[in-house]
Amino acid sequence: MKVAVFFLLLLPVCWAKPFHQKGLFEFMLEDEGSADLPPTDSPDIYLPGAVCPFRCQCHLRVVQCSDLGLEKVPRDLPSDTTLLDLQNNKITEIKEGDFKNLKDLHALILVNNKISKISPAAFAPLKKLERLYLSKNNLKELPENMPKSLQELRAHENEITKLRKVVFNGLNSMIVVELGTNPLKSSGLENGAFQGMKKLSYIRISDTNITSIPRGLPPSLTELHLDGNKITKIDSESLAGLVNLAKLGLSFNSISAVDNGSLATIPHLKELHLDNNELVKVPGGLAEHKYIQVVYLHNNKIASVGPSDFCPPGYNTKKASYSGVSLFSNPVQYWEIQPSTFRCVYERSVIQLGNYK
Amino acid sequence: MKEYVLLLFLGLCSAKHFIGPSHFTLKHMMLQDMEDENDDDNSLFPTRRPILQQVPFDIFPVCPFGCQCYMRVVHCSDLGLTSIPNNIPSDTRMIDLQNNKIKEVKENDLKGLTSLYALALNNNKIFKIHPKAFQSTKKLRRLYLSHNQLTEIPANLPKSLAELRIHDNKVKKVQKEAFQGMKALHVLEMSANPLDNDGIEPGSFEGVTVYHIRIAEAKLTSVPKGLPSSLLELHLDDNKITAVELEDFIRYKDLQRLGLGNNKIKDVENGSFSSIPNVREIHLENNKLKKVPSGLPDLKYLQVVFLHSNNIAKVGVNDFCPTGGSTKKTLYSGISLFNNPVKYWEVQPATFRCILGRNSVQLGNY
Repeated sequence: MKVAVFFLLLLPVCWAKPFHQKGLFEFMLEDEGSADLPPTDSPDIYLPGAVCPFRCQCHLRVVQCSDLGLEKVPRDLPSDTTLLDLQNNKITEIKEGDFKNLKDLHALILVNNKISKISPAAFAPLKKLERLYLSKNNLKELPENMPKSLQELRAHENEITKLRKVVFNGLNSMIVVELGTNPLKSSGLENGAFQGMKKLSYIRISDTNITSIPRGLPPSLTELHLDGNKITKIDSESLAGLVNLAKLGLSFNSISAVDNGSLATIPHLKELHLDNNELVKVPGGLAEHKYIQVVYLHNNKIASVGPSDFCPPGYNTKKASYSGVSLFSNPVQYWEIQPSTFRCVYERSVIQLGNYK
Repeated sequence: MKEYVLLLFLGLCSAKHFIGPSHFTLKHMMLQDMEDENDDDNSLFPTRRPILQQVPFDIFPVCPFGCQCYMRVVHCSDLGLTSIPNNIPSDTRMIDLQNNKIKEVKENDLKGLTSLYALALNNNKIFKIHPKAFQSTKKLRRLYLSHNQLTEIPANLPKSLAELRIHDNKVKKVQKEAFQGMKALHVLEMSANPLDNDGIEPGSFEGVTVYHIRIAEAKLTSVPKGLPSSLLELHLDDNKITAVELEDFIRYKDLQRLGLGNNKIKDVENGSFSSIPNVREIHLENNKLKKVPSGLPDLKYLQVVFLHSNNIAKVGVNDFCPTGGSTKKTLYSGISLFNNPVKYWEVQPATFRCILGRNSVQLGNY
């Protein structure tokens, strides 16, 4: 039995282990622009061979072209480039041939540009791409046909309103998806949109307009971060099957109710953040939960805390003691809570009760 | 792992072909200096997996909530953090904290992070860095501080730095001791700061071997004279430089790439370029030049000269190519002259007798 439990515990670790890319990460490069522009902007001169674009730095197969005011992806990048950093430029569009020849590219950083359009074929040559950073752009939708090799996708702070299943389907290497700060609504989220990613371990959809926990999340998930949304309740259905979930972030929502049995569906949860919500009581099931260690409940409307809300009755059957519980900024007064409520806590100092530290 | 080393070697070998001779020098030097001798894993995304810790109940190693920690990389970008998390694993090699709301790097924020190799703090609200903040990080090679509110180069940066990016801050001054002892600092990007010539204190680059400096979008009115003599690339585009003077490049005799586009340069003093005989590329587009700068025919390795969008009214037959006995070691691959008052039919074809091909010159607006 012990062995079985141990392996079960290792399971999420294996899935989480993901990042074995051979990638490098250094940066930057740019071209004083060759082609395509009218001659007043830049000369149309063919420079033989793929030299490092002017003002960029190229070394260790990393092409670093950030902060150069570039309006398009430089041409003639060295074909052995593994990392291309184009952040903080003024690129408006990713065109079909922009990354041709970059068959060794592992990481592409396009953060902080003005990209509103990505050609459907633009990423096709990037057979080894593992990291794609698109944060801080003007994308309304994620591009289709992203490389199957992709492990990490960041599209924070764009104008994304829709997430379609077809965009993620078959991205079976994907581990991290970060989609925070987008004008996303629950209605724009196709049911099971993330289901097609068999190894997905981390999702963050923070600071959007979604009103419920997305349905059909893949069972491989170990972390789910949905803080700063408009979620009103935790329903057991949406968390069902997330047997590997270890961290759940739901701070700064409008959650007033946690369905009974919700926590039982996520048996390996270790850390639960429910601070800054509308909860009127401690969520049920904490006492029976074996592995939970951190529960943030501060800034809610909890008016009373019962002696069995956190710890099992009698002999401690928890496998891990609490290492952090916060209850401050709630209507409940700390002198109304029985000391035995926290009998299964590692040490008294991990509990934050009143408005004192 | 073995395969990876092999792959790396392969990459290096083939890179020579692609990069070409002019950049091999730079690359070669950087390779030597940017890699730690006793550390084969100095990329920002490490390649080795950590050994799994067999802690029965703590299924995840310590990692700040919302961040991702893997293979000694801690990823905490875009989280709205107002301070640096305090439970960063002590063996971390890279921390990505970009795009947060951090205002300050405090004394103990990086304490104990002795393996830290790269730190990305760009796009925050940092206005203050404690003078002892980098006391533990003795191996830090790359520091990204771009897009913050810093008013000067932080004091007591690690001597190990190879790359410092401090683009788009409020830096007005480079103090004398700013880079002291940073023997391995090779890339310095400090563009988009309100820096003028007087802001660079004399001696501030003494003993530093920087290869690539970019101080673009600043308030420079002339080419700074106190930059490191090791420079291979100097980029001063988008400043207010009005003239290039005879002694401007005397210190920078190894210079290979020079960017002076988008300035107000009216005149390049005769002989200015004779102190940079190895230069490959000169960008002088979008200035106020009335003629082709003198001395170009003597630059044996010059391949690219951008002179478009100036006030050049006349191009002489010997402005670019040498006459008589002397010859060029490399032919021009790019000369731009469009958007100048000179008419292309007034330029004699023999002017371009030392170019690679007929596509190497762009003359008129045709």
